Amino acid sequence: MRGGAAASVALRDVRKEFAGKVAIAGLTLDVAPGTFLVLLGPSGSGKTTLLRCVAGIERPTSGEIDIAGRTVVSVTTMVPPEQRNVAMVFQDYALWPHLSVRRNVGFSLARSGDTKEAQRRKVDDLLERVGIEALAERFPNELSGGEQQRVALARALAAEAGLILFDEPLSNLDADRREQLRVEIATLTRESGSTVIYITHDQSEAFALADRVGVLNRGELIQCATPEEIYRRPASPFVAKFTGVAGELAVQVRAEHEGVYEVVLAHGEARSFRAVAPQRGLRGAARVLVRAAGVRLVPVENEEGLAGVVVDVAFTGRGYEHVVKLGEDHMLRKVFASSRFDRDRAVRVVFEPATTLLFAEERGK
Amino acid sequence: MSVQLAPSANRAIPRTTPLAAPPTAGTSTSVTSPARRRVSAGSLVLWTLLGLLIIAPVGCFLILAVSPRVFQQGPEWFTLRYVREAFSGSTLTGIVNSLWVSTAVALIATVLATTIAWLVQRTNVYGRRTWTVLTWLLLLVPTWTMTLGWTDLLQPFGVASVLGVNTGWLYGEFFGPTGIVVVLSTAALPFAFFIVSAGLRLLGPELEDAARVHGAGRWVTLRTVLPVIAPALLGAFTISFAETMSDFGVAFTLGYHSHFPLATFTLFSAISNFPANFSVAAVIAVVLILSTIPPIMLQSRVMRRRSFAVVSGRTRAVRRREFSPLARVGVTLALAMVYLVALGVPILGAGIGSIVQNLGVYSSGAVHFTTAYYQQILHPAIVGQGLGAPLMLSNQIGLIVATLTGVVALVLARRLVNTAGGWSQRVTDVFLMGSVAVPGVVLGVGYIFLYDQPFITGHLVNLYKTLPLLMIAMVASSLPGQTRFMAGPVSQLQPSLSEAARVHGAGRLRAWRTTNLPLVSRVLVWGWLLTFTKVIAELAVAQILYPPSQEPVSVTIQSYLANNLLGDGTAMTVVTLAEMFGVIGLALLIYRLVAPRGWRRVGVSELGS
Repeated sequence: MRGGAAASVALRDVRKEFAGKVAIAGLTLDVAPGTFLVLLGPSGSGKTTLLRCVAGIERPTSGEIDIAGRTVVSVTTMVPPEQRNVAMVFQDYALWPHLSVRRNVGFSLARSGDTKEAQRRKVDDLLERVGIEALAERFPNELSGGEQQRVALARALAAEAGLILFDEPLSNLDADRREQLRVEIATLTRESGSTVIYITHDQSEAFALADRVGVLNRGELIQCATPEEIYRRPASPFVAKFTGVAGELAVQVRAEHEGVYEVVLAHGEARSFRAVAPQRGLRGAARVLVRAAGVRLVPVENEEGLAGVVVDVAFTGRGYEHVVKLGEDHMLRKVFASSRFDRDRAVRVVFEPATTLLFAEERGK
Repeated sequence: MSVQLAPSANRAIPRTTPLAAPPTAGTSTSVTSPARRRVSAGSLVLWTLLGLLIIAPVGCFLILAVSPRVFQQGPEWFTLRYVREAFSGSTLTGIVNSLWVSTAVALIATVLATTIAWLVQRTNVYGRRTWTVLTWLLLLVPTWTMTLGWTDLLQPFGVASVLGVNTGWLYGEFFGPTGIVVVLSTAALPFAFFIVSAGLRLLGPELEDAARVHGAGRWVTLRTVLPVIAPALLGAFTISFAETMSDFGVAFTLGYHSHFPLATFTLFSAISNFPANFSVAAVIAVVLILSTIPPIMLQSRVMRRRSFAVVSGRTRAVRRREFSPLARVGVTLALAMVYLVALGVPILGAGIGSIVQNLGVYSSGAVHFTTAYYQQILHPAIVGQGLGAPLMLSNQIGLIVATLTGVVALVLARRLVNTAGGWSQRVTDVFLMGSVAVPGVVLGVGYIFLYDQPFITGHLVNLYKTLPLLMIAMVASSLPGQTRFMAGPVSQLQPSLSEAARVHGAGRLRAWRTTNLPLVSRVLVWGWLLTFTKVIAELAVAQILYPPSQEPVSVTIQSYLANNLLGDGTAMTVVTLAEMFGVIGLALLIYRLVAPRGWRRVGVSELGS
């Protein structure tokens, strides 16, 4: 039986090993019905494995998975994929090359109980919604990458599943098509009302799509929160770096005032600047991760900020991105300014405290 | 909308299970054990099947080479007497002949096949599809048929003589090593052609372009690029060598009549003469199998030392070399000559030979064409048992064997390409590669040995000299080649296709039926036809294992020819070939009419279109 309302998803201590190698290291997660959850992580972080476990393609080594309140994986249970009421968009699209676009999209309707005419209308409607109604009788190899992706999306929507899974669906497309399809995925899946789990390694894609973002690393869920929270209060240096920083600075903590710290560069100018930290009570050596959006360049004549030198500058259309050297061994990248600062020019760098993130120095570093 | 985190929102989630720690006993055991048991059960079934079909029969036979007492074939538990015996006299001659003939044939077939494959794939030669189809036909024609066609053509008072062409000078050449090498080279050509074609197809034009851009002329470019397909070239050499070493059709016909013994025939003689010498036959069998190891090892060594990965997503479509109009016609004519010699001459020889009265008999009068041979073979009361019953029997055997082989080969091919297969997959791979090199005659003798043992006939099942045993042996004989034939296309099936079907509501069977079966359907049809035709024409296993009074058609034809009923034997051959090609045409027509359009769109490239 397929179709129905948005599904909740609950993972309890899910672990997956391949020949002794840990892909998912005991992961626990709850997803409320109707949520668009993006799992973000680098290659090898276990995100695809996790998605395949939820889909039923992989069997976890241990742990439990519930979909819509029904246990689909446990010690004694392994519900096959076709009985989980899910749909999926695969990274390689997985379109069946011997079936036309219409039959690919209508695959899951074949056993829906609808009349042929109703199925046809439903498929036509979906093809129209994704903008490929003129391609209904074509075969997958006669379509462009973007068109294939639309077929895969329509097929997933046709299932009217409570949960739709996306496995890096935009990774094979060029930048323009990616942006266009990202909007379509966001719109169409939200219209469907289904819960979505979407995986990607692209931070901007994750932030653009998600209600919630889960950051994975080495099979562990490091943090799960709204995009804003992830950006402003990353739980670890890994989360901060993976969601975009201009640079990393070794610092010494001077003082703390209600979560705002006063720090100085460990090797360089002794002028202090402010940073925020998710933890209290940091002392001594620490490091600062700076969001690019929180860095400003000002002429060297200004009194505020740290002294630096422009190493490189690139025109981006709406302004300029700079690479700036601070002291002897610190480099900041993607520092934006609406006006150009030429190479080798001395500048001052000003940090916004809210996006200047302080973390304790990692042991052994 | 919200996501509830456990235990609380927006906080770093501690790892609940340490990376290095084992999973909790209850869960890990109960979840993983069934999977492991399934793998073990699958391996057990697989190896039991392969054990009964191939390992036990061949092993039982081969052990006689040094231990004849194991099966009461001599007094010694261990002796090298038969090894010495096999490496002396006519058996040594047979081994040496087979080795040098096979080497020569493998070289000729590889060079010829590489040239043809390059012409078909990389030039604008006329009739590119025709040459591929003709190569398929060449693959389906048994070697003893080729021999028969050439014999009809060249023998004194044969077809050439009837047509007024003096071929006396060629007769002596043909009935000797030259003729044997020519016929076997044409028989090995298709194997080499399809392997080299596959290699060339994967080779994008970038490497050629890079060589040309950096100043290489055509010849240097060719020398630069050809080594890139070294695995394919070595594969072509290896398979041609192994096929030639194991060929029985030419050894039994042309080799015997030319007094040029080949190893498979001396092996057959050793067991069919009285008294039979199974131990010497076993030594020859060991030599036949071992002889294929050096080329296989050479191929593995080359593959290990260098990377030949040339396939990438960026590989562009090939650009064909444009011949000048004159060169294009010339090259096309040269190709036509090759196929005329390889396929046209023997088929024409057999065709005309079957309608010339008193073929091979001196006649001073005019040539008389006749349909008498066809009438005789279709009316068994006139000469011998006729064609009807043996041909019908062979068709029934072909139908059953091809279907069984197809099913088992598909299962094995899936297992072979399954990356999760581990050691079992690797062993299966090596075993199947080795089994391709086991000659049919060795398998046939092995079956005689194993299934005639008192502990089997008395206590288990008495299959000796029965049709089921013949069919099982033919399945075993066809299985390794058929599995490797299917492994390529099966390996190209992306797992995500069936996963997508499962995720979108299809059960395991429906997912396979709706997503995988259509993609391999064309290969299944061709694989079935290949086995069907090979089984009908198969001589070695059939000759050794056919039950009394139930002769397959290949055995019947040989007994007609052995009794100097040349016209009747030739007519039988023509009818059998026509029937085989008729079945192929009919099957492909049915596939074309019945298979959905989408099924026919995929899988064409694997068949060398």
